[in-house]
Amino acid sequence: MKVAFYGRLAEAVGTELDIEAPPGCSIAELRNKVIAEHPQAEEALRNRRARACVGDAIVHDSYALTATDRVEFLPPVSGG
Amino acid sequence: MSIVARLEEHALKPEQELAALLEEAKGGGAIVSFTGIARPGSKGGLAVDRLVLEHHPTLTPQSLEDIAVEAAQRFDVSQVRVVHRCGAVEAGEPIVFAGAAALHRRAAFEAADYLMDRLKTEAVFWKREIGDAGSEWIEPTERDYADRERWG
Repeated sequence: MKVAFYGRLAEAVGTELDIEAPPGCSIAELRNKVIAEHPQAEEALRNRRARACVGDAIVHDSYALTATDRVEFLPPVSGG
Repeated sequence: MSIVARLEEHALKPEQELAALLEEAKGGGAIVSFTGIARPGSKGGLAVDRLVLEHHPTLTPQSLEDIAVEAAQRFDVSQVRVVHRCGAVEAGEPIVFAGAAALHRRAAFEAADYLMDRLKTEAVFWKREIGDAGSEWIEPTERDYADRERWG
């Protein structure tokens, strides 16, 4: 499954990873898999203001992924 | 009602944005605008050469649009204009312009204040300072989040 990263997360692990995740895997499980393979991303991925996105919509930790989903992990945003 | 929410890849010229707002707001009685400028120093007092604002191809423009539309709905304003830079912004250059026009001043002041509180915490950008400290990610402060919460 393609997983994309932005900001400090992209700096830590790259802009995109291929992570093996079975259909039905939740966002929380996917996050744990990414952290297991890339422990340097743990702090930013577990930040309470970090978000996961599928199809340009914010999804919660319990969201069950389908085979065609592309997940994006966003660290806390900051404009202005 | 006119709403402008624009992601700007090149130099942001606040005087041009204000001129556009003045032109659009004919018949109104008040314009309030805010211009945010890249600071030449970090919180720790080190020199900053530039800010780099990374963005998301769809979520970033959408976030600017949502914030501008919600300001227009919430306050008694006739125009809302938000222009936000992306990419590299040299210290001293404008990063953001947020303006509102209204029949009376209070609504324009409040709309501009609201726009900035939401932009600081919800506009989809990832911001780095580049300077004497190397490269440092900048995230909203607790004060920024508290300012955002004032609006519910």
